[in-house]
Amino acid sequence: MEINKLERYWLIAVGITLGAFVAATIVAVTVFGIRLPAPVERIDPQRLDQTIFAKPGVRKIADNRYEAVIVAKSWAFDAGPEAGNPAVLRFPRGSQVTFYVTSKDVMHGFQIEKHTLNLELVPGQVARASANFNRPGTYHIICNHYCGAGHQVMYGVIIVE
Amino acid sequence: MASVTLPQTFEAPATPTTLKLAKREQVMIGAHIIAALTALMFGIFMGPFQTFHRSPTFVQYFPTIPVFTFYYQAVTAHGVMNALFFTTFFIIGFSYFVTERSLQRPIKSTPMGWAAFASMAAGLLMMLFVLLTGPQQSAVLYTFYPPMIAPALFYIGLVLLALGSWLASANVFLTYRDWKREHPNERVPLAVFAIIVNFIVWCVATVGVAIEIVFMLLPASLGLLKVTDPQLARTLFWFFGHPLVYFWLLPAYVSWYTMLPRQAGGKLFSEPLARVAFIMFVLFSVPVGVHHQFSDPGISASSKGVQTLLTLIVSVPSFMTAFNVGAALENAARNRGAKTLFDWPFKQKWNDPVVAAQLTGMVLFVAGGFSGLINASAQLNATIHNTSWVPAHFHQTLGGAVTMTYIGILYWLLPAIRGRALFSKKIALAQVFTWLIGMTLFGLAMGEAGLQGVPRRALTSQAPYLTPAGAFWLDVTAVSGIILLISSILLYANIIGTLFFSRQPMPEGEVPIETVSGDRTSPLWFERWGLWLGILGILLLISYGPVMAEVLDFQEGWNILRFMPTSNAPMP
Ligand code: HEM
Ligand SMILES: [Cu+2]
Ligand SMILES: [Cu+2]
Repeated sequence: MEINKLERYWLIAVGITLGAFVAATIVAVTVFGIRLPAPVERIDPQRLDQTIFAKPGVRKIADNRYEAVIVAKSWAFDAGPEAGNPAVLRFPRGSQVTFYVTSKDVMHGFQIEKHTLNLELVPGQVARASANFNRPGTYHIICNHYCGAGHQVMYGVIIVE
Repeated sequence: MASVTLPQTFEAPATPTTLKLAKREQVMIGAHIIAALTALMFGIFMGPFQTFHRSPTFVQYFPTIPVFTFYYQAVTAHGVMNALFFTTFFIIGFSYFVTERSLQRPIKSTPMGWAAFASMAAGLLMMLFVLLTGPQQSAVLYTFYPPMIAPALFYIGLVLLALGSWLASANVFLTYRDWKREHPNERVPLAVFAIIVNFIVWCVATVGVAIEIVFMLLPASLGLLKVTDPQLARTLFWFFGHPLVYFWLLPAYVSWYTMLPRQAGGKLFSEPLARVAFIMFVLFSVPVGVHHQFSDPGISASSKGVQTLLTLIVSVPSFMTAFNVGAALENAARNRGAKTLFDWPFKQKWNDPVVAAQLTGMVLFVAGGFSGLINASAQLNATIHNTSWVPAHFHQTLGGAVTMTYIGILYWLLPAIRGRALFSKKIALAQVFTWLIGMTLFGLAMGEAGLQGVPRRALTSQAPYLTPAGAFWLDVTAVSGIILLISSILLYANIIGTLFFSRQPMPEGEVPIETVSGDRTSPLWFERWGLWLGILGILLLISYGPVMAEVLDFQEGWNILRFMPTSNAPMP
């Protein structure tokens, strides 16, 4: 079986392109520190009151560093009574926030506008990810995973001041 | 062409290569194609109305949009009918046709063929019933993730579809086995080679979703199981969900590789490399499903990384196809007098709907393919995951390349089934070009909306978080919806016209199919299917072994013991 010369060049070009993709991925992970969500913990969605999700809310852990514990349910993000409904979270500019989010009922999504933070909220799994808020502004938290009739009104707000 | 003796049972068409179908071909293949078009009819006409429902401006001026009232019911019907039922019926009908004509023998067992059809048709009827009568509970979308649970008929419909498709696959495998016994030293024609690859991919992939439905969802729906594990269910679903994409695509490749060169007036560039491409599809279409789960919390980053690599590899056979088919088209254009480097794409038979539809599909596919590579790279995925970007992508590939190629096939196959000429070539051409314009605009607008953070699968016109930019692109999507509505009406006008009103006899024509492989250089071991399955098994162990261990949480004992309770879909 022989391979035509032109076709061989084409295959080499394809190989180089894909190699570049792999290289870009490696650079993104090692240099820019971009991380995919990975297993944190399993919990029983029926017994969230025995976990950190018993008291959702925002906690300051160091200068400019925060932890936000949020429970998604049909059809709201519960970030504690202070945050209200729809939840409004305020952070000073330059803060780094680690989100711990889980779902109490069906699948939900958790995406922050204009930030690379995009989580599937799978009942029974804790999702964790961090975001840096460097530009002042108002950003929506959007439930981007279909969760029933009220899916389109499930959102929260992050205000960076 | 070598002479072949036909088996006794084969009720031969006038000559093996004329397009005129024998009665039994007409009935069997016709039944599948008509069922496919019925499913597509329920699915396709939902699409434009979805774009209207999603557009804030449109909803402001037309507060009551007809056709359906519950948005998510429509999206479920659109996804299930288009992506699952239309495709499966069409692929099986087309595969029977290709197998019978290429191998010059009927499918192994006609009764088994009808049993398969009956099973799938019953599935279709059940699904339509449950979608039309149980709007709220059945709105679980075509991915049906638990803990949302639909009425049992929904799952039974799917099981019947899968059962029928397995019978159909077996029928084709057995037909090929008989042929191979008689022709041990011949290469099977490329088209059948690819059809076999396709059914192998399908049979392996459907195991995942079958386990999910039979052991998790159906019992939950019947109330026998009070608990479920969404992370496990998603993993089983995507084990099926990605190869599903190739199950749709490979029949389109069959047409591009083995029929289009002839239809366009050219010659295939390299048949052996086409076979290599198809073998790569056997090996790499399945062990990549986790790339749909990059954002899932229950799977480790390293498992995701392995499948990212494999995903990049599975794009290689598509690049090979682009080259091979591109070269065949260039050859066709040169035969028609194209001279320069850049005039050959224009010197195609753009006035022949069969060719134009497939070329349109390819044009959309190029855009779709590149946006697919972006989806596949993990970090970019974080920006566009679950946004409108995703439907933008697969309406170029599934709604573009696949659907338009099937429609191109339909424009010659439907006349053959009916025994009459296509109702109107002009309408067909208008349909093709409105689809090209509409889908290009759709892809652009939905893609931009996605980059603005607009989610998919959402009644966005009611969303409080919609930004002005997002709203603008949703309005543009609605414009594309109008164009696509016109295109869909043209399509069905032509189908109904051909079936009921065409008075012209079918034009004399040849089947664009090879009966003997012209390939003299491919090694015969390309057809050692056990070998490919073995390698696939190893790849699956490497790629899915760790994933299943993580999902089942082996360290802490089988998590099946710790299933969470199911809750019913939270409906108001
Ligand atoms: C008339 C042309 C079409 C239009 C205007 C259209 C429109 C749409 C829209 C707006 C969505 C997104 C709904 C949402 O995310 O909320 C969608 C989803 C989808 N479409 Fe289409 N579509 C068309 C044709 C097709 C075709 C031909 C197929 C396949 C054969 C197809 C398969 C799908 C699938 C699988 C989904 C995903 C459903 C889901 O997310 O659950 N569409 N379509
Ligand atoms: Cu939600
Ligand atoms: Cu995929």
